[in-house]
Amino acid sequence: MRWQLLALAAGVAGLGISIYLTAVHYAGVPLACPATGTINCEAVLSSRYAVITGTNVPTSAAGIVWFGVSALLWTRPFGRFQLAWSALGLVTALFLVYVEIVQLGAICLWCTAAHILVLVIFLIAVTTASGVRVRS
Amino acid sequence: MSRPAAKRPPASRPMRKPVSSTPPWLAPVAVVAAVALLVAAFLLYRWYTTPLPLPPLNVDATQQIITSITGLPASELDAVGTGSANNLIKRVTGAALTGPNGHPEVFYVGAEYCPYCAAERWPMIIALSRFGAFSGLKTTSSSSSDIYPNTPTFTFYGATYASQYVDFVSVETLDRNQNPLQSPTSAQQALLNQYDAAGSIPFVDFGNRYAFSGAMYLPDVLSAMSWKAVADSLAQPASPQAKAILGSANLITAAVCKLTADQPATVCSSSTIQSIEKTLG
Repeated sequence: MRWQLLALAAGVAGLGISIYLTAVHYAGVPLACPATGTINCEAVLSSRYAVITGTNVPTSAAGIVWFGVSALLWTRPFGRFQLAWSALGLVTALFLVYVEIVQLGAICLWCTAAHILVLVIFLIAVTTASGVRVRS
Repeated sequence: MSRPAAKRPPASRPMRKPVSSTPPWLAPVAVVAAVALLVAAFLLYRWYTTPLPLPPLNVDATQQIITSITGLPASELDAVGTGSANNLIKRVTGAALTGPNGHPEVFYVGAEYCPYCAAERWPMIIALSRFGAFSGLKTTSSSSSDIYPNTPTFTFYGATYASQYVDFVSVETLDRNQNPLQSPTSAQQALLNQYDAAGSIPFVDFGNRYAFSGAMYLPDVLSAMSWKAVADSLAQPASPQAKAILGSANLITAAVCKLTADQPATVCSSSTIQSIEKTLG
């Protein structure tokens, strides 16, 4: 139950970050983030990877969907959907980390915070799944 | 007659609770270790594939590059149009900005480490060379530790510009290692405070009539290229570099033409420049 609440909290926090990044994208206001050197939110969020390919929809909007669904799933008893959804989120987050490090050479702090929340949710899902297998 | 003996249950081992052979912490630890290894692999790959900075060209080689990029035929520039450049030029209001030689002033602020400044200097040199001539330009590369590392470019630091139509004033604040180079004067700082409050670079002010900050194209189009390779690519109108750099040059040219009342006519009367001027307002 405690882990479930933590996963829910992580989902809500991630939702907040995604909403902030999406709002900044559309409002065109500066981000509360360094903009020089390797830690450079502006460089990441103004790159071609900041929008979903073929659209003008910011990638953070996909984060809103993912974190929103995740938070909803964790209000229900644990099952395979939480594990599958969090695995999908982790794979996507790892791809975005690859883009930041390899393609752009810049790290966005807000994006990194969201990626860490995805990892936390996945770890909770894996741990909960391991516990369910032991009990059964 | 005796009763049959009660059947005894068959002998069997006592029931035991199943015990997992793997500790519950193993899976999350394995996940964290795998993620850490992946991130380390990304960093290693990035380090291995990041282009090294090219040594700056000597004076003659630099001049050859400048001659090449500023000698492109007007027909090619017209054919590219705005190319893939992003028009960042905005109308601004203020008292007309006049330069040291009494002409409308184009004021630039940037820094040698800055990759976006590195990208934008190519079209600025091409555009302004249509109205005058630079001397003393030197090659350099943007910072090795910033995004778009080692983008090949030039520096305006130590260069001069002469034109009968427009004055060009530049401030390169930091070198590629972020050591101080030049500082804006108080008047220049006042312009920055007014038109570039966020402090973004590069910043270009066209006579207090138009201004933009940032690069009109992403510097990755110049990644791992030598200055000669970039110059050669500009001779191919369909190349990504030509579309980006020449497209940006046409936008800058149009803004300067607005300052010079469309002089020289050989530059400003082209249909491409005229149509861009209409979009500037």
